Amino acid sequence: MSINVPKDREVPFGAVTPAPVNQQELFITSNWRIIRPIIDHEKCTRCFTCYISCPDSCWSFNEKEEQMEWNWKFCKGCGICINECPADALSAAPELDFPDGVVRLEKPF
Amino acid sequence: MAQEKMLSGCAAAAQAAKLAEVEVICSYPIRPYTAIMMELARMVANGELDAEFIHGEGEHAQLSVVLGASAAGARAYTGSAGVGVTYAGELYSPMAGGRYPIQMAIADRTLDPPGDFGSEHTDAMTFRDQGWLMGWASTPQEVFDNTLINYRVGEDPRVMLPQMVCQDGYFISHIPDKVILPESAQVKEFLPPYKAPHPLSLTCPVSHGPQIRPDQGAPMDAQRAATFLEVPKVIEEATADFNRIFGRNYNPYLETYQMDDAEIAFFVQGAHATTCKSAIRNLRKQGVKAGLVRPRWVRPWPTLQIAEALSNVKAVGTVETSTSYGGAMRGGNLIHELRASLYDLPVRPPVTSFMGGLGGEVVLLDDFYYMAKILTQMAKDKKTHRHVYWIGFEEE
Repeated sequence: MSINVPKDREVPFGAVTPAPVNQQELFITSNWRIIRPIIDHEKCTRCFTCYISCPDSCWSFNEKEEQMEWNWKFCKGCGICINECPADALSAAPELDFPDGVVRLEKPF
Repeated sequence: MAQEKMLSGCAAAAQAAKLAEVEVICSYPIRPYTAIMMELARMVANGELDAEFIHGEGEHAQLSVVLGASAAGARAYTGSAGVGVTYAGELYSPMAGGRYPIQMAIADRTLDPPGDFGSEHTDAMTFRDQGWLMGWASTPQEVFDNTLINYRVGEDPRVMLPQMVCQDGYFISHIPDKVILPESAQVKEFLPPYKAPHPLSLTCPVSHGPQIRPDQGAPMDAQRAATFLEVPKVIEEATADFNRIFGRNYNPYLETYQMDDAEIAFFVQGAHATTCKSAIRNLRKQGVKAGLVRPRWVRPWPTLQIAEALSNVKAVGTVETSTSYGGAMRGGNLIHELRASLYDLPVRPPVTSFMGGLGGEVVLLDDFYYMAKILTQMAKDKKTHRHVYWIGFEEE
């Protein structure tokens, strides 16, 4: 049996890949999102609860700006951070309200 | 010096795991396999074996723990029985797809309901298509040997697959028999240390088990299927090396008994082959030319070797030891594979199945004589009258 798999459909042995040190551009999943979390940097206390609670590691701390930073490419809009934020600094906004909203894209990533 | 000891199948498995120098063991109790872990726990506590011994909180956790251990590069060992095997079900395909060559010892136990704990092969047979290597032993010695052979085959860079090393609960797991325990140096010669190709590492970070795209799913399946075409070659090499180093005489795929001139054949997996051989000796005294074919592997299934071994018999009957309710033959699993294996023969013998060895029941000598009567009639009539006979419940 010989199998000819086109290059772009190849899977590495055991599906083991080099670990993305930051993010894996091949598997962007934000097109699942129907709401997005909006942060109020004035209310934010930098407690990192969002950072801890996000299942997709979409909150990080921007040391230069000294504020939390949201990763729009991987946030699936689950709302856990909004629910968990003790300072009430996060709120949900419908993705359709944004001109760049992922639900408006003609083709998925 | 190699030693000969009286050991149960469970003790034999533990001794083999010890000589294989397993590095991580994860246990969770369910009889009859538990005795393997009791032995290993004792060895670790006594300092005879230098391994991490972890208590899982269930079988799903057991398999998850050894998956992690294997991903980190350790030779890992676990096991279960009956509903424990089914509770771990989610892990089987990812472990094989992720190419973690862990070993799982299974001492069969009937599935619920409502809690019969006797031996039946349905527990492990249910997962035969998840991409694991799998086979049944028929003696404690073979349990010991299969443990080493499976690690060797599973960890081969051409294979890299997890293995289910199965033994019948109680009939093998709890009845002591003579087992030759080899020297550690012999085992080291046969089984090189495990080397993971892409271990989890701080210096060279890798992702294991990532999401792949739907259009990569089929290529991955094809890759896994193609691996199984490589396995037989590796099994043959490993068996030849095993026979040379340990002075054994295994055929890589099948045990055949009195098959040279056999007219009727029993196809038996696991412990009941021992009773079957006694029955064959007695049948031959009465002029019935009976023989036995016993597969040592279920995955990969030795299709060609089975066809060759049974090409000249006039009737074959499987002793099922597992169930396939509503399946093509309305009985067990073995007959499906056996009939498919024989289909391409120019002259096919009639095949039937005997539902026996279920729920922990012993297959008696009288049962084999009864089967022989049916097989002899089939040979005479040159056809299969029925696909299934339920041993002990048929009116003669």
